[in-house]
Order: sequence, then C-alpha cells, then structure tokens
Amino acid sequence: MLEVKNLHASVAGKEILKGLSLTVNAGEVHAIMGPNGSGKSTLSNVLAGRDGYEIISGDVLFEGKPVADMAPEERARAGIFLAFQYPVEIPGVSNMEFLKASLEEIYKAQGKEPLDAVTLLRKAREACQQVNLDQQFLKRGVNEGFSGGEKKRNEIMQMLLLEPKLALLDETDSGLDIDALQVVAKGVNSLRRPDRGIVLVTHYQRLLDYIVPDFVHVLAGGRIIKSGGKELALELEEKGYGWLEGHGA
Amino acid sequence: MTLTESLKAQALEGATAYQQRNDTLSSLRDAGRDALENLPFPDKKSERWKYTSLIKLQDGHLAKQAHKTSELSTADVPDFGGAQLVITNGALPATLPKIDGVIFSTLSADNPSAAKELTPFSGFNAATLQDGLNIHVAKGAQVKQALHIIYVGESDTPASAATRVNVTLDENSAFTLIEHYAGTGPALTSAITRIHVGGNAELTHYRLQSESAETLHISELDIQQQRDSRVRSYQLMKGNVLRRNDVRVWMNEPGADLVIRAVFLARDSSHVDNNVCIEHASPHCTSDQIFKGIAGETGKAVFNGRIHIHPGAKGTDAQLSNKNLLLANTAEIDSKPELEIYNDDVKCGHGTTIGQMDSEQLFYLRSRGVDAEQAKRMLGIGFINELILSLPNEAIAEWARDWLGESL
Ligand SMILES: Nc1ncnc2c1ncn2[C@@H]1O[C@H](COP(=O)(O)OP(=O)(O)OP(=O)(O)O)[C@@H](O)[C@H]1O
Ligand SMILES: [Mg+2]
Repeated sequence: MLEVKNLHASVAGKEILKGLSLTVNAGEVHAIMGPNGSGKSTLSNVLAGRDGYEIISGDVLFEGKPVADMAPEERARAGIFLAFQYPVEIPGVSNMEFLKASLEEIYKAQGKEPLDAVTLLRKAREACQQVNLDQQFLKRGVNEGFSGGEKKRNEIMQMLLLEPKLALLDETDSGLDIDALQVVAKGVNSLRRPDRGIVLVTHYQRLLDYIVPDFVHVLAGGRIIKSGGKELALELEEKGYGWLEGHGA
Repeated sequence: MTLTESLKAQALEGATAYQQRNDTLSSLRDAGRDALENLPFPDKKSERWKYTSLIKLQDGHLAKQAHKTSELSTADVPDFGGAQLVITNGALPATLPKIDGVIFSTLSADNPSAAKELTPFSGFNAATLQDGLNIHVAKGAQVKQALHIIYVGESDTPASAATRVNVTLDENSAFTLIEHYAGTGPALTSAITRIHVGGNAELTHYRLQSESAETLHISELDIQQQRDSRVRSYQLMKGNVLRRNDVRVWMNEPGADLVIRAVFLARDSSHVDNNVCIEHASPHCTSDQIFKGIAGETGKAVFNGRIHIHPGAKGTDAQLSNKNLLLANTAEIDSKPELEIYNDDVKCGHGTTIGQMDSEQLFYLRSRGVDAEQAKRMLGIGFINELILSLPNEAIAEWARDWLGESL
C-alpha cells in the first residue's frame, strides 16, 4: 500500500530525512517511534504533501503510484489521511461546514453519491459520540478554542468519517489523559481492517498498550535505524533511545 | 490642463444640464455650482486622497448625465423584508412607499437638513441633482418595516447620476434604513446621505454596495447623533473602477453610541477607498468600529479611519479595528488609523493588521480533500464570517454571504 524507498527529504532547504525506507501493507499497523526532532513529523508532512517539504531523492509510492506530484487534496482523495500533531485553529469556518466540504470531495473521488444533509449530520453526530466529543463542537470553528485533547479527538472524529485507506497519526496520543487515550485508541482500533493501513507516530509506548502494532520502527537522524515487532517498543521503553545510539546517523 | 482643472470643467459642463430648471431644488443647484467654482478637485497632493487617484474620471463621467432607463425590476432585487424604493439614475419613482410613522417628501432647498456643500463632490452632487428625498421618522415612532432603497446608476457610456437622501429620526424613534447600490455600466454614482438621529432614537443602517465592476461610486455619508442616540451601521462593499466612501459621524451630545461593521473586498483590478471620521464632540459617547478588508490580484483597498476626540469630550470610549487579508503580493492595502485626542479622560484603541492567507490552515483543509481554490474561498469567508453573522437582518446576512462568497 505504501512504499517509501530510500527517501531523502528537506524542510526549508535543510535535509531532514536521510535515506528512509518503510513498507506498509494493507491490514498492517506500524508504529514509528523516535526522539524529538528525529524527523517523524517531517515524514508525515512529506507523505501528506505539505508545501515546503521537498523530496530530494528516493520514492514514495501509494498503491504503486508515485505521490510526489500529487497535490495534498489529491492524496486525500486517493485515501491518505494525516491526523496532525498540532491541528491548526480555523476561526470562522465551522467544523460542520468543513466536514461537508471534505466529505463531498472524498465521496466524489470514491465514486459515491454525496450524503444528503440529514444523513451527513447524523453520521457526524455518531462520529462525535464515538470519540466523546459534544455535538456542539460541530458548530464551532474548526479546532477554535479546543483544548489539546479535543483537537486530537476532532482529528479522530474526521478520520472515522472519511474512512481513509492509509491513516497516519502524528502523535495523536501526546498530551492525552488516560481516558482520552482510550477513546482515541478505540477509534483507531475500530478502523483496523484488512484493506487499511495505519501508521502511528508516537513518543510513548503507552499508546501501544491499547493499539497493538504489527511492526515497530525506530526513527533517528532521519532514518529508520531499527525495526521489529511489538516487543521492540517495550525494550525501547525500558532502555531508552540511548540504547540504540551508534546505530543511528 | 491638469486633471483637477479638467474635472472642474467637466463637472460644470454636467451642471449646465440642470441650470435652467426652475423647481424647488434650484437654489441648491446654484449652491452646488458655487462650490464647484470655488473648491478644487483633489489630487495626489491632497492628504485625504493620497492613495486614490481620480484619473479614472477623465473619461468624462462628470460631464454627462446617465439617462438609460433601468431594466431592473423589483423582481431582480433581493427581498430583505422591507418596503422597496427604486431610484433610477437619480430619478425618484412616481409613487413613494407608505410606511407607518414615516413621512416622505421631495427635497427642497429650504429644508433645514440641506446643509452646505463642503467638497467639490457634494457641490457636483447638488448641481446635478434631479430629485432629492426627505425621510422623516416621527417622534416616538417604532417603525417595524425597514425601508430598502435601491439606487440604480446605469449607463452605456461614461456618465453620472446624483442621489441625495436626507433622513431625520425624531426623538425616541426607531428605524431601519437599507441603502443598496446596484448600478451597471460605466456610470458614476454620486451619492449623498445625511442622517440626523434625534435624542434617544435608534437607527439600524445598511449600506450594500453591489454595483457591477465597471461602475464608479463617490459618496458622502454624514450622520449627526444627538443625546443617547444609537446607530448601528453595516457597510458591505466590493471594489469597482473607483469607489470612494467618505463617512463622517458627529457625536454632538452626551451618551451617543455608534457601531460600524464593514467589509470591503477588492479583487481583480478593482478599487475601494473608505475614509471614515468620527467626531467625538461631546462627553460620554462611545464608538466601536470594525472594518475587514480583502484584496487580491491587482486590487487596491484603502482605509483611513480617523477618530477625533474634541476638548471636553471626557469619558469617550472609541475603538477602531481594521483587519486585512492580502490574497496576492500584487494587491495593495493601505490602512491608516489616525487618532487625534484633545482630552485625557478617554478610552481609545485602534489596531490595524495586514496578513496573508495562513498556509497552515490552507494545508489542513487541503489535506482533507478540499481543493486549493475552495479552501481559499472557505478561509476568505471565514475571515468575514463573524461579521456577517452579526448582521441583525438574516435575509441580508444570507444574501451577503453568497454575494461576497462569489468574489472569494
Ligand atoms: N518548517 C521547518 N523549518 C525548519 N526546520 C524544520 C521545520 N520543520 C521541522 N524542522 C526541523 O526538522 C527536524 C525534524 O523535525 P520534526 O518535526 O520532523 O521532528 P519530530 O520527530 O516530529 O519531533 P517531535 O517529536 O518534537 O514532534 C527538527 O530539527 C526541526 O527543527
Ligand atoms: Mg513531530
């Protein structure tokens, strides 16, 4: 589903990813762990197509097709979803209005009929309920004045509605209390399916108690320096990133 | 001949069309011609016209009267729930609407509110006035029905149409006035509205400037506020070939309260200039203004907001905010707040910002499948949404969202 091959990428002219390779097959859950500044968000942003994140060399293929020349919205329509580490506030644009615009495009791309207003509202309310978000949040500006946890739950809420093929979650667990973490984990687990890939970027192995990954990768210095099964996360937790020093760049 | 001289010659030529008319407006027209003789048209050296050139008037708009009969029917006009009155190329309709508590009459020179002409533009307006309208809201009248005036300036060739409306709200009355400009073609609308808001009276005022892009518009809005009067003025506009609005509000007596909410949009090569001055001439008056501007492509928006707090106007609270969104580096926004304070005991705040569309917000929307164009439109509407939502008339809010949204 996703193939990243020897990817070198830069942000603002500075090379951050230095030969990163990663393959995610349908049905798999991958966790990417790594210290601050190791390039985790850079990878997420490169995959989602953010301006200013340049691919210098290497390939990123989604369902066999290179994504480099695809606009962010084209990637979204193809089924890539990024839950942001720091979701931006957009005052004046209501969450509901945004969901409507987003769903219309994604459905159109999938060849589905657009939802009528009533069904859309019902689905949105159900999604809110799933992540314990009051329905009032649909009326508010996108992320406007939301607490950190509410922003993260809003991301998951959108993900549940958009049903992406590949979900990238950039530290969606950071800053959450244990209740909110469970809510988020439940949401993600409900999306686990044989035809969907999930990539969890995280700092803390705590998340992996609730979402059990098939693979764990350690990202440091812009490369994946170690990969393994779920037990790697525990080992990391125990020994710290220092344990892997020397493997890195 | 300089542009200033040429405009004067053209304006005087335009005025000759009415010179021989003998009606109740004759002496007003004479006064207008006098003003034209004595007051030069501004040029770039005039401080208040620094960012707006009159070069677009050189095609002769001032010399000719717009005569085209309007193809506009009331069916083309959005229904905001008020009584409609269409003024076409400066001509009043044969019958005026009937509204309880409101007396309409045609303007005449001996009307006390026909004040002096202080600028060449108001002189031109007076000198070329075909009809004028007086609106009188009776003491204590709580007028439920809004008055929706539609001003249509229409022409196929450069020409002008003058409109003048005087509004008087007597003590304790309440009234809603919707001024809606909807012309087409290379027509210059010369618009003057003078409003007197009596003691404890309340005016809700809308100014919707939705003329098409080829039009020109030069206006003066003058509001006099008496003791404890309240004015809410909502001003929404798009740029055209040349749009210049001079707004002056006088807080004449204590306790007067003013709110202005405005949106101006300058897309493509359009121009919009708002020159606003609040005269705090009396103690304990409050003014609260928010202007939001958007400019794109080679559009140009000018905002000059002056707050003048006179000696003795203690306890004044005057707030002014002008936030702008620049959609392209080729667009221009000139924003200049001016505070002139001759008093210590005042609360005064002003702020101006000019920002660009937030790339992070744009990416967020796009990363969820919304294409760049639509995302920009959503953010543009988002920028003015709060202001649109604050419009008390829902029909206008809905219309405004679509109409402004078209240009975002
Ligand atoms: N827009 C930018 N301009 C310049 N440098 C950047 C930019 N974005 C990221 N960087 C740099 O790239 C490196 C990797 O940042 P990135 O955000 O990908 O790390 P991360 O692994 O997500 O860290 P964290 O755990 O703190 O979220 C850092 O050194 C960071 O300072
Ligand atoms: Mg990060």
